[in-house]
Amino acid sequence: MKLRQIVGLVLLASVACGAYSCTVASSKGEFYGSTTPPARNILRYVSGDEPASLDPQVSEGQPEARLYMALYEGLVEYDPKTLAPLPALAERWDINNDSSEFTFHLRRNGRWSNGDPIDAHDFVYSFRRAFAKETASHTASIGLYIKYSKAYLEGQVFVRDPQTGQFLLAKDFDDSLPPPPLSETPVDPAKSEYTPTAEESKPDADTAFHQQMHSPLRLTLPGSEKARTKVLDKNAKLKAAIAGKEFIPVKADDLGVEAVDNYTLRVSLVQQAPFFLGLLAHQLFRLVPRKVIEQHGDFWTRAENIVTCGPFKIKTWVPYDKLIMERDPMYWDAANVKLDELHFYPISDQFVAMNLYKVGELDAVQNRGVPNPWLPVLRSKKDYMDAAEAAIDFLIMNTTKPPLNDVRVRKAFNLSIDKPAWASYRRIIKPLTAFTPEGIFPGYPQPKGAAYNPAEARRLLGEAGYPVTQNGDGSFSCPKFPLDQVEYIFNTQGSTKLMAEWMQAQWKQNLGITIPLRNMEWKTFLDAKQTMNFKGFSRGSWGADYMDPFTFLGYFYVAGESGTGWYDPKYVAMLDEANRTLDNKKRYELLAKAEEYMLDQQPVIPIASTAVNWMKKPYVKGMYPNPASLYAWKFVYIERDQAKWDFGTPNLAAD
Amino acid sequence: MLRFIVRRLLVTIPTILVVITITWALIKLAPGNFYSGEKRLPASIEKSIREKYGLDKPWYQQYGKTMWNIVRHLDFGTSLRFEGQSVNDIIRRSLPVSASIGILAYLLALIVGITIGSIAALKQNTKWDYGSMALAMLGISVPNFVLGPILVIVFSLYLYWFPPSRWGGFPSRSLVLPVLTLSAIYMAYIARLTRAGMLEVLRSDYIRTARAKGLSEKDVVIRHALRGGLMPVVSFTGPALAFLLTGTVVVEKIFALPGLGNYFIQASLNRDEPLIIGIVAFIALTLLTMNLLVDIAYAYLDPRVRYQ
Repeated sequence: MKLRQIVGLVLLASVACGAYSCTVASSKGEFYGSTTPPARNILRYVSGDEPASLDPQVSEGQPEARLYMALYEGLVEYDPKTLAPLPALAERWDINNDSSEFTFHLRRNGRWSNGDPIDAHDFVYSFRRAFAKETASHTASIGLYIKYSKAYLEGQVFVRDPQTGQFLLAKDFDDSLPPPPLSETPVDPAKSEYTPTAEESKPDADTAFHQQMHSPLRLTLPGSEKARTKVLDKNAKLKAAIAGKEFIPVKADDLGVEAVDNYTLRVSLVQQAPFFLGLLAHQLFRLVPRKVIEQHGDFWTRAENIVTCGPFKIKTWVPYDKLIMERDPMYWDAANVKLDELHFYPISDQFVAMNLYKVGELDAVQNRGVPNPWLPVLRSKKDYMDAAEAAIDFLIMNTTKPPLNDVRVRKAFNLSIDKPAWASYRRIIKPLTAFTPEGIFPGYPQPKGAAYNPAEARRLLGEAGYPVTQNGDGSFSCPKFPLDQVEYIFNTQGSTKLMAEWMQAQWKQNLGITIPLRNMEWKTFLDAKQTMNFKGFSRGSWGADYMDPFTFLGYFYVAGESGTGWYDPKYVAMLDEANRTLDNKKRYELLAKAEEYMLDQQPVIPIASTAVNWMKKPYVKGMYPNPASLYAWKFVYIERDQAKWDFGTPNLAAD
Repeated sequence: MLRFIVRRLLVTIPTILVVITITWALIKLAPGNFYSGEKRLPASIEKSIREKYGLDKPWYQQYGKTMWNIVRHLDFGTSLRFEGQSVNDIIRRSLPVSASIGILAYLLALIVGITIGSIAALKQNTKWDYGSMALAMLGISVPNFVLGPILVIVFSLYLYWFPPSRWGGFPSRSLVLPVLTLSAIYMAYIARLTRAGMLEVLRSDYIRTARAKGLSEKDVVIRHALRGGLMPVVSFTGPALAFLLTGTVVVEKIFALPGLGNYFIQASLNRDEPLIIGIVAFIALTLLTMNLLVDIAYAYLDPRVRYQ
């Protein structure tokens, strides 16, 4: 009796769950659920996780980045379709002849939400704050091209001779330095480093600070005694040179940012960086209010204190419930901001969000918002957004431990995965053999990478000392492979388990090796991955911070950050050389060469490029499924004329 | 009685401090950090973050500072994950949400549960009894993560009567589905407890005396039987109400409510130390207070306890 009762209840529950997932997803019509536009000009959007902070310079998440695009503006803004930089608080800019110095001309009508005017000094403050230790910004490393920003962030010191007041120079102690960029060579009044433009025939004023920036790069050493001794012990010449010298801490005013006048900002870089402009729309470089921060400290982002500079400002904020923004009448372009209000709901549960979307209480859901089991039905709806995403899935390998410290073994595991089959099974991804996503960076000669080749994989394994033999029934076995020394770790979320099982099956089928799987809670997983406290494989994924291949290739730029244990100075040098290259085509070729070199070392196994996966009502216009899912909210509007609605994914090609 | 209350209150404080200490230690032992993301942060940035939040100090200093702020100022600090939000504020803001859902759910459960339970007891071994107890069994067995979505499908996605989720303030239509979902299991428990309690009391001597004295059946049931029969419900109420007040993770998740339970689970997943400690301490305090209130109510309802 008891058993029957239990069986009955289990059946009932499973029927109920089944009914939940089928009936909710299947709905008739071209669109999913209600298509009645909201009565007012508002957009109700699920922003994903609760934002960690409303301070654009501190946190790094994508949900936050989208909020910042409404609240804050920088020198430039992302184009809603291509994410290329559009003029924002900077009206126009001049770039010097080798892309090592940028001069921005600010618009004169920029205002904070409290009505105060925005000028170049605000930018100087914001840029300095981005790299200050106290800010503890998670994203500061993307901006380290600015002169002395790295030294300032790391609390380093200059070395000065107390007698002469002369600073020691970097070039005297490091022979490997590349030839200095224009921003480091003395200003020559006879010839300008800028090509004259129509707006400005002669360059902006030369100042003492400008001269200082244009002097050769100073030597910087670690601020702490211990770290400094370590550096000095390695370089006898340096050790001798600093005797009797004084150490001067690198300060905020040493950073390469200068307010030439109230509306001109000059940024000096430590190297040629033709892609630098594209970084400036990033949240790290959005403007933050000095007065409010100095007055309220960490509490400046509270609704009652906050002052912003974007097209929208905070109206009400109830954490974990809603963040309502209204159009800021002080915003310089307020006349062209079409929405009256933006409502962000921090909901991370996909099903909850989709229900709200269906009944018409949401106008759009966030990227990756459509639950996996619903995709087959919802992908055919005309409000489903289907476009490439600047994000990739891959497997990280711990290259420091055997057997994966052998590149042949790593290659064998890569070659034995049928990526196209996995992609066609998952439907919304594309197979990937390189480390940059497919088709995201136009003109980038992405290397091909190695294709599926299980026979070659078996050969390589045999060469590495783990021969694969074929059994009578056609299956393979690899008895010598040390199974106790590898595992595959992943976090239990979304389709990661599915992916783990798929990879396990592939290796079993093609190599006769069954890698044990181990799933972990999210933070435990991150910890294991980052401290390389795992043996074998780990799930990995990466999304673009900005629209340039380097945002992916830089994954291995700093030793100890990638979780693979693979770090190669040659690869870093190749990237550096590419980044100093002014001609974009040439630069892309060099980056691709570096990518090819890295792929050949195989610290990771590329698996797939992902696609965006979200929905918006047909009446929501000006919101495009761009590759980074960053929306310039000022361009979004509610279209009430049905003839102008979007039937399908809007075209991303620039007009 | 007063001495009893004072003694209990005095025990409460060290209990909570022990709870906080254990929680603190568990968080320190858990792998991972509040700031870890998909890729490891550069060493210098990690160092600045650790310095900013005092995580570079030795453990006893961190522990001492946490405890001192709690004991001296009742200040649980600022959330690590949610920059600029103090733990006290978060609790103050999310408690009303959890509490209003919880109290409404428990009131509903009490009213319906006691009524059904009494009817079942008074009409023992009839179809009323069997019917209501089968319903109660169903209520206990169907978990709220099944019941909630079913209610959403029926009443929101098909009938469009109530919003499928989100907090709409108090009172509002958005309360209906979460309250129903939450109360089902308590309703069922209370019905069963009431029935069992009533059955026992209805057979006891003092009820026979009351009947013999010629009291009407209504008086016997309401004034005497119910009072004794509800004792199990009262002892169930303490912990149940404490958990309901401090938020229920599942229901808050299903209906996307900004309650304490939601914060609690997120704080644990985020390794948000001050927030976890604050919420644990608050739940412990509520639980201890509720148990004390139950003991007092017991004394009031049952003369035998009072004279011991």
